[in-house]
Amino acid sequence: MLGVLYSAGPLEAQIRIEIPTPGGAGVPIAIAPLSNPAAHPDREIGRIFADVIARDLELSGLFRVLDRRAYIEGPDGFVLEQINFQNWSVLDASALAKGGFWIEGERLIIEARLFDVTQRKQLGGKRYQGVRADVRRMAHRFADQIMLFLTGEEGPFNSQIAFVSNRADGRAKEVYRMDVSGTEVRRVTRDRTLSLGPSWSPTGEELLFISYKRGGPYPYRLNLASGRASRVYAKVGYGASWSPDGKLVAVSVEQRGNADLFLITPQGKLIRRLTRHAGIDVSPAWSPDGRRLAFCSDRSGSPQIYVMDVETGRSRRLTFRGRYNTDPAWSPKGDRIAYTARSGGFQIMSIEPAGGEATKVGRGEHPSWSPDGRYLAVTRRGRIYMLSRDGRSIKQLTGGRGNDTSPAWSPRLP
Amino acid sequence: MILVRRGRHAYHKLAWLEEKQTKMRHTIFRSGWLISVLFISIIMAGCPKKTPQNIAGSSYGSSGSSGVGESDLAAGGRVQDRVQGEGDGGGPLQDVLFAYNSFELSAEAQQVLQANADWLQSNTQAKVEVEGHCDDRGTVEYNLALGAKRARAARDYLITLGIPPERLSTISYGEELPQCTDLNESCWQQNRRNHFLVLR
Repeated sequence: MLGVLYSAGPLEAQIRIEIPTPGGAGVPIAIAPLSNPAAHPDREIGRIFADVIARDLELSGLFRVLDRRAYIEGPDGFVLEQINFQNWSVLDASALAKGGFWIEGERLIIEARLFDVTQRKQLGGKRYQGVRADVRRMAHRFADQIMLFLTGEEGPFNSQIAFVSNRADGRAKEVYRMDVSGTEVRRVTRDRTLSLGPSWSPTGEELLFISYKRGGPYPYRLNLASGRASRVYAKVGYGASWSPDGKLVAVSVEQRGNADLFLITPQGKLIRRLTRHAGIDVSPAWSPDGRRLAFCSDRSGSPQIYVMDVETGRSRRLTFRGRYNTDPAWSPKGDRIAYTARSGGFQIMSIEPAGGEATKVGRGEHPSWSPDGRYLAVTRRGRIYMLSRDGRSIKQLTGGRGNDTSPAWSPRLP
Repeated sequence: MILVRRGRHAYHKLAWLEEKQTKMRHTIFRSGWLISVLFISIIMAGCPKKTPQNIAGSSYGSSGSSGVGESDLAAGGRVQDRVQGEGDGGGPLQDVLFAYNSFELSAEAQQVLQANADWLQSNTQAKVEVEGHCDDRGTVEYNLALGAKRARAARDYLITLGIPPERLSTISYGEELPQCTDLNESCWQQNRRNHFLVLR
């Protein structure tokens, strides 16, 4: 549906622009609206593309998007030889994104390029092909490419965030999903009951969540394309998490009043029980290699984070500070485990999986990593926020009516 | 909607105050409790009630997503009723309260359970769903598990008092159905509870 036809000259120029860090001054960048060479009457496309990219780059905390009203040069002329870089250097732009779009019937083609203004060089370019409705997705993908061209690492914006909200009627909790930019919010469940704790399948096609629609609560899986949900496991469960290879699900299940961790298949077949004792064991979170699980247990007398070797079932306590550490989330690079700590209010902490000193990321609870491992989606006072992993960049993603909680960041979407 | 919730909230505050007063009276005048229930019912009658349209969710066209009013039909199960704030008129059984992050039954909790067991002994047809609830000073999933432990603790205690296990079921609502949403200890205390829903 949406394809990249070619990539023009990626990274042939040595990047001189300083690699930005979140929360820093930000690379000054100009995002020109797309040129409309065929003079198609739907002029909005070019503006929407630029708006989406500008919002994404703003959220990244790495850029300072220059005000479009100050641009001297128009959208036309979007290949290297046609650009007068003087027009952009006077605005103090270090980087410039320009491009064009073509519409044939419902088909949409976008060509976009990123330029180094100081060196007067193209840093990279992409051509996207799809239907008109794909314009936002194309923009998110190019925003990710801009981050790749300038930092060496793709951005996280071609993904979605699932979350729980009572915005529909103030009481029932339903699962929603949205673009990372907080737009295109879509309701996923319509069960008028409590739907909690969404988590993504590794392909981004399905969600696991907990629902009370038939009592329980029970774990369910839901196909996003069809909207159909089915119960995964016939026992009362509190949270479930898909293994990175998609073959297994770790789930916290009630056993005679106590929560223990089990390994099942996504079809609901029991593989084996992982924990067995009087304490609560909840919130399983897979390491990216699928070999270990971080989880929360109160076996020591207070909830703390543990790491288990899935093969041997052996567990090791990871957190020792504080009396309330829950909701572990393993970074996609494998190098950190974020979790919620409670001391007064809720704090997001981050620690190495091998142990050591935990560092504070910022206020919030229920962290979920972005697919590039640079950001965390968290909930704070009933709103979803996006924090950079060092906590220096803090951006609010949701607002309005209701309480938004339990964000779950999807993998990169196709 | 706001009015409805305020009404409900006010009711809960009253119910809670009433419960406290009741507890004080409890030793002197046991049937004072029944009087409070009557009293609350009278107050309830004066409160704005949720209309059936609200229960069916006709309000969600106002979520801003579309101009078309569309609603799902409520499944009508008891969980749905509880989520929608229905099917919980207080009931004949008293709530059991817990300390922060604890599922231990205090001496007071055991007294309440004894009174609830007495009621169950004289109402032999009644089945009860023991609900475990938590305050929101915890995280969602851990609180679901904690609520389950609270429900289980009360259920097990009722069994030791002679109530047959087949008359008792449990469910955890974690922090999802708070009685009260203020940010103070008296409110949190009301939320750390077992509620006993008599099933018909």
